[in-house]
Amino acid sequence: MTADRWEERPSPAGAIAIDGGDLPLGGGLLALVRPALTLLEPGGLLAILSRGRGVADDLESWCRAERNDYLGAEVLGDGTTHYLVRRGRFGVHRSAEPANDVAQELPPRADAATGFAPHGTVVEAGGPLYPFDLVERDHVTAPEVTELYEQAVAAQWSAARDIPWDTIPRHEPALELAVRQVMTFLAENELSALYVPSRFIARLHPAYVGVAMFLATQMQDESRHIDVFLRRARATASPSAISSSTTSHSLHSLLQVHDFTESAFLLSVLGEGTFLDLLAYVERFAPDEATAELARRARIDEARHVHFGMAHVRHALAHDATLYPRLELAVRHRAATLSGTGGVPAPVQDALTIYAAGSSDPKRIRHGHDAFRELLATMHEGRTRRLRSAGFTAEQAQMLSDLHTPNFM
Amino acid sequence: MDNTILLGAVAYDPKVVSIWEGIRQYFNESGTPLDFALFSNYERQVESLLAGHIDIAWNTPLAHVRVRQRTAGASLSLGMRDSDRDFHAKIIVRTDAGITSLQDLHGRRLAVGSRDSTQARILPLHFLKEEGVDLGRVHLVPFDTDLGKHGDTGTSELDVLRALVEGRADAGAVGDLVWVLEQAAGHVDPARLEVLYTTPGFDHCMFDALPTLSPVKREGFVRSLFAMRWDDPVHRRLLELEGLREWMPPREEGYQSLIDALAEERTLAAAG
Repeated sequence: MTADRWEERPSPAGAIAIDGGDLPLGGGLLALVRPALTLLEPGGLLAILSRGRGVADDLESWCRAERNDYLGAEVLGDGTTHYLVRRGRFGVHRSAEPANDVAQELPPRADAATGFAPHGTVVEAGGPLYPFDLVERDHVTAPEVTELYEQAVAAQWSAARDIPWDTIPRHEPALELAVRQVMTFLAENELSALYVPSRFIARLHPAYVGVAMFLATQMQDESRHIDVFLRRARATASPSAISSSTTSHSLHSLLQVHDFTESAFLLSVLGEGTFLDLLAYVERFAPDEATAELARRARIDEARHVHFGMAHVRHALAHDATLYPRLELAVRHRAATLSGTGGVPAPVQDALTIYAAGSSDPKRIRHGHDAFRELLATMHEGRTRRLRSAGFTAEQAQMLSDLHTPNFM
Repeated sequence: MDNTILLGAVAYDPKVVSIWEGIRQYFNESGTPLDFALFSNYERQVESLLAGHIDIAWNTPLAHVRVRQRTAGASLSLGMRDSDRDFHAKIIVRTDAGITSLQDLHGRRLAVGSRDSTQARILPLHFLKEEGVDLGRVHLVPFDTDLGKHGDTGTSELDVLRALVEGRADAGAVGDLVWVLEQAAGHVDPARLEVLYTTPGFDHCMFDALPTLSPVKREGFVRSLFAMRWDDPVHRRLLELEGLREWMPPREEGYQSLIDALAEERTLAAAG
């Protein structure tokens, strides 16, 4: 067909010509025809040059099956036939332009019907609705998330390889028990930090997969922390540690929070934020090199989680001022749930005191007790500073920090 | 008065339950009360429609033509699938069988589908005869599977293609949809099978009702049916199962070849 024939059938929806060689319809020709049709809008014209056997019979039937219009064939001189097909109105259309992946901005609100299709994909209509309910960009993500994800991937370490386990000596029985209690307490809290984000990944719309990917690194971090804390606890020669009901109530209340931002606020900003000071304490007073190293490495990971939690909460607050009272309410609600459960669990307080003392010698214990009291003050200061940084007033920050769980997380 | 439409369909496959449960739910939600009854064969479904036991029958072309004839053309045709229009049948041959024209079919083995299949038996043979093929000189290899289902299952068409590939037939008759969809799915070796002949077009299934169908039921049915959309995920699932992209208004001209073919059969039976 020549150019003049095109002008006989003007089409605003575009026109494409392909050379099908001698391919039969069921022997490869469709692999050229189908992609070409997706580049046309409904009504667009596809010209097919073919020397394939049976194409004359099969193309028309295939067009009927796929709801394209078969417009006819023209036999050319050299055994080639020229077929003309008008694209029907079903099926997907994609722009012929190269995809500009860099310019793909995250949508302010994600469409539940795009499912797991990567952002920027042409999604065929008619797919099922997915049950993702975290679909608002400014409530789930933050500009820093990609950079934090890259940092997290680069900073992965191995519980087996990177801790000098063989440097652990045998300590006096009271200190052995304190180490086991502190490490078990850390593992118990980190278990909650593993489970809580998992609940939100399943609800996050894949358009914001960057957040899910960061949370996955966070979960990998927590898994490793659980691993090292339990290894260290089990390296002691001591009776079992105690899991107190205060800790259990506190962690249970984290599972009752269904709002992603409220959860990030309670877990990452307040809980993990407080844990940064706790881990610094564990490193500072560590009775051996292995314990100091695992606390140091865990703290670096936790600082990243706090950073993302802060970024998330700050971004959400910047886009929705009604969040301030909601976050305050979440803290008050949790405090009300935990009221009456007591202060810092006694087994934890005593273990942290002996841990800092490094001995059961009463003279050392006095120092340990001072260190513990100093830790509580440091934690309160840190929380207040982070709350101020998130945008709360000094008064609010003071009050919210006071209401924080005595379990630290 | 109960305005619930009772629709009849033939259970040719377990998916028929999913289709009509889905359509029943959609119709009821869209304000057209509908229930369905499943039959094991089209003959009983046609009798039930004519006896007034069901309001509407989802009929094959053969069942549709029978309803037209039994009501002397007074029956109501309510709608059809887009895929029911301009159906064709194909005569497929083995590339190594040396068959290059319809006349070459004489003395050869022609695989055909069930005797109540419009696309794999009745019309291809009718059109071959019109093209001058003497069917008395062709050895038919019939696959009379799923009788009563009027070829709905497609089993006999796949049997025809298998017989060709396995060398149990030299040529075979199938509907065009089975032929191109099997090719598109990569199930056909184009070096071994090719099309010898494509029949003229004919139409396929139809919703049939008696002229006594109440206007409320008729209007409700048509309104809900034609409101189904391919882009709606709930509708789409049903449309995919039923093999269409959109419902189309009825038309009768596409059944003339089948009417002629059945008249010939009656003439032959009377003469024989």
